[in-house]
Amino acid sequence: MPASIPRYLADTAQRLPDKAAIVSPARTISFATLCSEAMATAECLREMGIRTGDRVGICMEKTIDQVLAILGVLYANAVVVPILPRLKGPNIRHIVDNSGMAAMVTDAERMNEVAEFRDTLRLMTGHGAISTDLPNLPYLRRFIRPRNFFNRIGNDNAAIIYSSGSTGRPKGILIAHRNLAEGADIVAEYLGTCEDDRIGCVLSFNFDYGMNQIWQTIRKGCTLYLHDLALPNDLFALMAKERISALPVMPVIITKMFDRRLKVSPTSFDFSALRYVCSTGGRLSADMISDLRNAFPRARIFSMFGLTEAFRSTYLDPDKLDAHPTSVGKAIPDCQVLVLDEQGEECPPNVVGELVHRGATVTKGYWNDTLNTAKVFRSHPRYPGETLVYSGDRVYRDEEGLLYFVARGDEMIKTKGFRVSPTEVETEVIRHPDIVDAVAFAVQNIAVGEDVACAYTTTTGKPIPEPVLRQFLKMQLPNHMVPALLFHFESFPITGNAGKLDRSSIKQLAHERLGLASPSTAETGRAVSAG
Amino acid sequence: MATELQVLIDYIRAETGHSGALGEDDDLLATGVLDSFNIVSLAMYAQERFGVEFEAEDLVRSNLARLSSLVNLIRTRREAPIS
Repeated sequence: MPASIPRYLADTAQRLPDKAAIVSPARTISFATLCSEAMATAECLREMGIRTGDRVGICMEKTIDQVLAILGVLYANAVVVPILPRLKGPNIRHIVDNSGMAAMVTDAERMNEVAEFRDTLRLMTGHGAISTDLPNLPYLRRFIRPRNFFNRIGNDNAAIIYSSGSTGRPKGILIAHRNLAEGADIVAEYLGTCEDDRIGCVLSFNFDYGMNQIWQTIRKGCTLYLHDLALPNDLFALMAKERISALPVMPVIITKMFDRRLKVSPTSFDFSALRYVCSTGGRLSADMISDLRNAFPRARIFSMFGLTEAFRSTYLDPDKLDAHPTSVGKAIPDCQVLVLDEQGEECPPNVVGELVHRGATVTKGYWNDTLNTAKVFRSHPRYPGETLVYSGDRVYRDEEGLLYFVARGDEMIKTKGFRVSPTEVETEVIRHPDIVDAVAFAVQNIAVGEDVACAYTTTTGKPIPEPVLRQFLKMQLPNHMVPALLFHFESFPITGNAGKLDRSSIKQLAHERLGLASPSTAETGRAVSAG
Repeated sequence: MATELQVLIDYIRAETGHSGALGEDDDLLATGVLDSFNIVSLAMYAQERFGVEFEAEDLVRSNLARLSSLVNLIRTRREAPIS
């Protein structure tokens, strides 16, 4: 069967029409209904003028209606552009402009953030009450007899996912139908996801990892249970009641699940149905692994690693987790991971090089950005005619062939499951009238991955009271981007004669104030001691 | 209810920077006023500020996401403290 999610869904809807595909607190939807309502949504979109290849933003909370909006865009032969619902005006504006967005599907709670786009975009609601104001997809699709006019091939554009880089604004990663379909098959293969599975979905559908849960569900005919994790006891109750068998998480979610302040007692629940827990988006600490093992003694724990440009690169065999807890494992099926030095040669064991990814999950490049595409999506003389992803991440391989992550090549801050660009934080911090300059960086905090930290200088040379500055920043930035740590500097050190801010010295001085060792920088070709 | 409610509203406004409406029966997670991080901070603050202790079964969304139910929980735990 040609590789695309719309074709996979049509197939599963025929094979398992009445089986529950998605269960949410409000509604359960079968595969047949999921398929027909997605096709009806597509027809609504076509009626509203959405054409093949148009970019359609989806800025919604996680609901079955959000899944229908995503699938509707795909069936309409258009391109899905997820927009994190917590983003504020300027961040959304960048995505709208950069993608050349034709329409946006949102929900009632988002209207204030997106109202400014109503003159330039076709705005519609994908969830919630009907108003006289905007077209409402759940209402409109009731009057439509669904037809399937999906006609894309595997190479065609399916989605653009915006992801922050260390410099500049977020870049749109262009994903083909084939990438989504093969991502479903590959992940289901190594995790062993099957028709009997009941996946607990605490992830959001604004990122590749969360969306992949929808794709696996559609491909395998299993059932997806939507849950917004806020209080862990609610999640545990759902898992026990629904006999959840698969739980994809991230380190920040594990921290939340076992927050000691919330007096969780996972041993009082029956989790005997849970077969696997998988995690990506940051390293699993020893405490996280032991919390997972204590709570879910029967579950296999998969530690995984990757970047959106190639979706997923590696996973660690659960049987090797205890012996190699810091390893990111080996390449996922149908993909290969190379560790290359600056000459493009494979590094010997225990020598740090750049992670370079080849295979089915390599995406098409950055939307509307040939310069950055050329930097990351490159060929290699050994593989003529092929595009590989040069991740910039520093890794090494041990004698056994297991991979270990050392450092990012860039300065991205990974916090609470988000990738935050220092530039985006700094841009908002320096809007404060008393602030002259700002440098944002990461400070290790195992509970959330990294904390966003920011050093600043002022016109008066005096610090701004922290509550005042924090209050200001909370108005400007989504919560996860508000710096947890603020450092006032009388002045910033400057590099040599270039007159640039000496970012690494600033970072080091801030770490000294915290009494932490300053972060080491890994260089290509540097040998590491004992893996 | 007035005192507890006002104290909690003041805390949420300071913590989130939210200046819009805050109805006592609104689900503050659904409306996006609170996220999964600061709802936990709110629960911790409420215990400390009102000198009560919540039990594991109290710390669920149905008790904490609406101010009216949180105020009820505070009062219940004040009258019947965990032994």
